Amino acid sequence: MDADDQELYIEGHPCVVVDSVEMRYRVASSAASDADAEEATPRLFRRAVRKPNMVTVHALNRLSLVVERGESVGIIGRNGSGKSTLMKIISGQSKPSKGAVFASSTPIMLGVNAALVQDLSGDQNVILGCLAMGMSRAEVDEKFNSIVELSGLEKSIHLPMKSYSSGMASRLRFAIAASVDPEILLVDEALNTGDAQFADRSKLRMDELREQAGCVFLVSHSLDTIKDMCTRVIWLDKGDLIMDGDPEAAIKAYQEFTRHLSKGNNISATRILDEAKANLVATEVRGRSSRRSRG
Amino acid sequence: MSADSAIDPETVAVQPLSVDMRRLTRVGSRPSFLDYLVRLWDFRQFMFYDARARIQSGTRRDRLGSAWLLLNPVFNGLTYFLIFGLLLNTSRGIENFVGYLVVGIFVFQYSSGAITSGARSIRNNKSVVQAFNFPRAALPIGANVRELLRAVPLILAMLLIVVVLPPAEEITWLWILVIPAIMLQALFNLGVGLILARIISRVHDVTHLLPFALRAWMYGSAIFFSYDRFVTHPEVLAVIKLNPLFNVIDIVRDCVLYARVPQWQSWAILAVWALGALGVGLVYFWKGEESYGRG
Repeated sequence: MDADDQELYIEGHPCVVVDSVEMRYRVASSAASDADAEEATPRLFRRAVRKPNMVTVHALNRLSLVVERGESVGIIGRNGSGKSTLMKIISGQSKPSKGAVFASSTPIMLGVNAALVQDLSGDQNVILGCLAMGMSRAEVDEKFNSIVELSGLEKSIHLPMKSYSSGMASRLRFAIAASVDPEILLVDEALNTGDAQFADRSKLRMDELREQAGCVFLVSHSLDTIKDMCTRVIWLDKGDLIMDGDPEAAIKAYQEFTRHLSKGNNISATRILDEAKANLVATEVRGRSSRRSRG
Repeated sequence: MSADSAIDPETVAVQPLSVDMRRLTRVGSRPSFLDYLVRLWDFRQFMFYDARARIQSGTRRDRLGSAWLLLNPVFNGLTYFLIFGLLLNTSRGIENFVGYLVVGIFVFQYSSGAITSGARSIRNNKSVVQAFNFPRAALPIGANVRELLRAVPLILAMLLIVVVLPPAEEITWLWILVIPAIMLQALFNLGVGLILARIISRVHDVTHLLPFALRAWMYGSAIFFSYDRFVTHPEVLAVIKLNPLFNVIDIVRDCVLYARVPQWQSWAILAVWALGALGVGLVYFWKGEESYGRG
């Protein structure tokens, strides 16, 4: 490639490298396929064995990112833009269809979706969850009280998870996930649950974690939160990277875009999108002295 | 699709970045087999806690609580005594037929329960798999530890029935040999469970076939009859007697009912099956490590 001379050299060790990641799903669609109508096989038989109409969804198109220590990256975009998909790929919860994510330590996703075992009681779930994150029993005992305190469940901690309200369950999940001090922290809308009292407590803990973490990824619909907390913003739309850079500029462009959309000005909204895209400088990762040298 | 062409690769400026990848590891990558075993050992507390907590919660709704772990098999054995010992009064040419039957059923019940819960452990705990990052084999192993703990009252109930119900058997030193037999059986269950867990995580349909396969296996393990009565061909008999579960049952019957030292061949066959299944199961499961919980 002729781009070698302008290759940007990154000093030090980055925290997270997202290398040409792509995500596609094959899912069943309830829309009838054309082939069905024409088949001559008996209807009952067809119903029994028919494969559902499969559709490929492009959740995320080819994307590369290099995130260094000390950066906190906000991810913005409309619903279905691939924000959560990207977070899941970085945390290792889902495997990308193509490409790979490299990280300096195991990324921890902090969210309300850390699922627990319904039949067990809250305190059993705390211990089980902590052990599943690799803590020893002694560490769990040490942190147990602070987890229960953060969850604010008090005596309900001894009841089975089945009896919890969804707010209680998500508070407990958050408290468990927040009990480790990860180097790479991913936060997906975690602050939006619970009552005001819990929101304050969890925000305090989040701030603590963010200060300790080497790098942070944050997905939130609250642009103010992102503006406050992030040093870099990524704007995704329909699985494409639109902007990657300064929070002020990216948030401003995104707000402009949504303002036009909500007014129904689809054409001008698309123009903003295209403009941003045209200015985008995509990243290509070239590993040096690694197992996967590229380029 | 339009999503693909939305960003035309030619029009987007690409900035190559040279990144030092030496300290990075791929997120969610599978460790080497030995590392995997070491990691599993690190998660031993998780497995034991998981097993214990779920046993306790299983009978929490009952007034008699954990007593059901013992009462359940006792009633089970009494039912067989009632039907075969008192009502039908058949012996089918077998000495102490009720004891013969009870040993067969109870020992087989342990295996079928353990294999089923091992096989389903990944599917049933998909949310835990997605939420936390731990070696996935911890789940099938935890399920097998749980079943082994549950087997203790089962075996006690079995021995109790053998001693109490007529014709009562005497307790001999040979009874101790039941413990190594059950241990080998546990290893075999775990191996089969690991293999099935990976298959079922891919092809869920297999769960529907599992009960039938286990039932066929039960009828083929000389629980209600003796092989020698039906199979006259010596070569066929030799092959049938390779069945690992038949060998466990045979060993236990020899020790508990007939007070004779089990043949060394039975031990050898059982040990080969147990270690073979465990070895194959661990490697096969480890190979699929990256795929669990992502389907």
